[in-house]
Amino acid sequence: MAKYMCLLYGNPANWMNLSPEEAQKALQKYMAWGNKLRTQKIYLASHKLADDAGKVMRGKQARVTDGPYSETKEVLGGYYLIEAASYDEAVDRCRDCPQLEYGGTIEIRQVDPMTADA
Amino acid sequence: MPENAVVGSAEQQTPVEQKPDEMVDHLFRSRAGQIVAHLTRLLGPEHLDLAEEVTQEALLKALQNWPYTGIPHNPAGWLFRVARNAALDAVRHRTLTTEKSAELAAQHFRNADKPRAGDAELEEQLRDDELRMVLMCCHPILPQDARVALSLKTVGGFSAREIARAFLADEATIAQRLVRAKRQIRESGIRFELPAGEDLAARIDYAFEVVYLMFNEGYAAQSGADLVRQDLCGEALRLGRLLANSSVGTPQAHALVALMAFQAARLAARVDTAGELVLLEDQDRSQWDRGLIALGFHHFLQCAEGTEISSYHVQAAIAATHARAEHGSATDWKLILELYDQLLELSPSPVVELNRVVVVAKVSGPEAALAALEPLASNRSLRNYYLLPAVRGQLLLEIGDKSGASQCFRQALDRPCSEPERRFLQRKLTQCESH
Repeated sequence: MAKYMCLLYGNPANWMNLSPEEAQKALQKYMAWGNKLRTQKIYLASHKLADDAGKVMRGKQARVTDGPYSETKEVLGGYYLIEAASYDEAVDRCRDCPQLEYGGTIEIRQVDPMTADA
Repeated sequence: MPENAVVGSAEQQTPVEQKPDEMVDHLFRSRAGQIVAHLTRLLGPEHLDLAEEVTQEALLKALQNWPYTGIPHNPAGWLFRVARNAALDAVRHRTLTTEKSAELAAQHFRNADKPRAGDAELEEQLRDDELRMVLMCCHPILPQDARVALSLKTVGGFSAREIARAFLADEATIAQRLVRAKRQIRESGIRFELPAGEDLAARIDYAFEVVYLMFNEGYAAQSGADLVRQDLCGEALRLGRLLANSSVGTPQAHALVALMAFQAARLAARVDTAGELVLLEDQDRSQWDRGLIALGFHHFLQCAEGTEISSYHVQAAIAATHARAEHGSATDWKLILELYDQLLELSPSPVVELNRVVVVAKVSGPEAALAALEPLASNRSLRNYYLLPAVRGQLLLEIGDKSGASQCFRQALDRPCSEPERRFLQRKLTQCESH
């Protein structure tokens, strides 16, 4: 089975005005989505990335700059690694991810099948 | 309303380890209130804003982390720790007084991973913080509407938007009310401690008022209306229990809790599956929430301990009499009539008199009730109250005066009432006009 990396981008400002009750409701939707992946046994891993923009290194001199997101307010919050038969299936699995409902973006990338089992 | 919307807060106080990936309903809302209260005690009421800010920050951190990491074993402890951390950072940044910083740091290390569910001492401290917070929000220097809004915001964990929705008010108005109230607290140097003697008694009375107002506002909400309004009943009951079970608990507090519990027990039965209004007598009593009725009787017994009888006592006794009847026809109307007489003596009001008329009809028949209704007909404060003509219409219908009754129901329909009430009146009207 192929592996897919689902990168969850979002704008943290979208969360700022949630009341505690609304925040819990949103969280419960995420948990339900994650649990579904686990029940379907296609969940492999997930990680939350730190809230800073990160560092970018470039060139022979290893020039270091702050994060890649200068133009956009969306930040990469974290990722899920899942198993799916095809891009279509991976897309289907992410269709009900609350990230979309809350105005975010999901980028799906297949782990190169040539290297996936290495 | 789901049962746990009302009794949910009790679950958080029982020392049951949560299964991972599960959260008690309203955990964020009720813990937000506790965290704000806890930090306000440490930082001082003048930094209430900061306490709220860092609490919100902790909730958002949870929302950003838990989807990837799973729910921690002790979610409340996680939230407390993160909020306290953020407070500590803010205190250092803003160079607030060093004692505050020191006390926060000390607390931080002492409770590094707390509160654990079941840590009795800490839970007790948190309840005490919440109690002080409620009593601070009910300070007489604040106008009553500000007391209600501030209690809901700081102890209840409601947002300004939710409070506005619950009270059918404008969000900006509520937000402004909150800002003004917090400024008043800051400027008048209100302390985060229990007042003493008569001041304490007065403050508790104000708190009862706030709780009762909150409950009635939620209770008035119809099914299908915004659920947040019904959540008000749950929060009012939680605050009532907090007051009743605290060191400042009085028989009156128990009476208030009993009254609210009995009424909340009937919430689900007030409308049928089609969304139509069901009168108390016709309600399917198997739908009454047994847990809440038991809670009602538990507090009802305790309210009898004092010597003073408040109007809450009498109202609770009326509600208890209904709760005891297994069928509508088994209701002890004579006892209820006596209780209404007593209630009228304690706190006379035309609405109570009107309710009493309905009971008179049960005990002595519609003619006697119509006679008792006569003096209310010209009461100015009832002139916009749809129940006045509606009750008269019902009584006329019972003595067979259909044309008189239909005239009354038409009058009732001209007065402001909710959609389900309107449909109810229309059904009555059709009943009058049939053959």
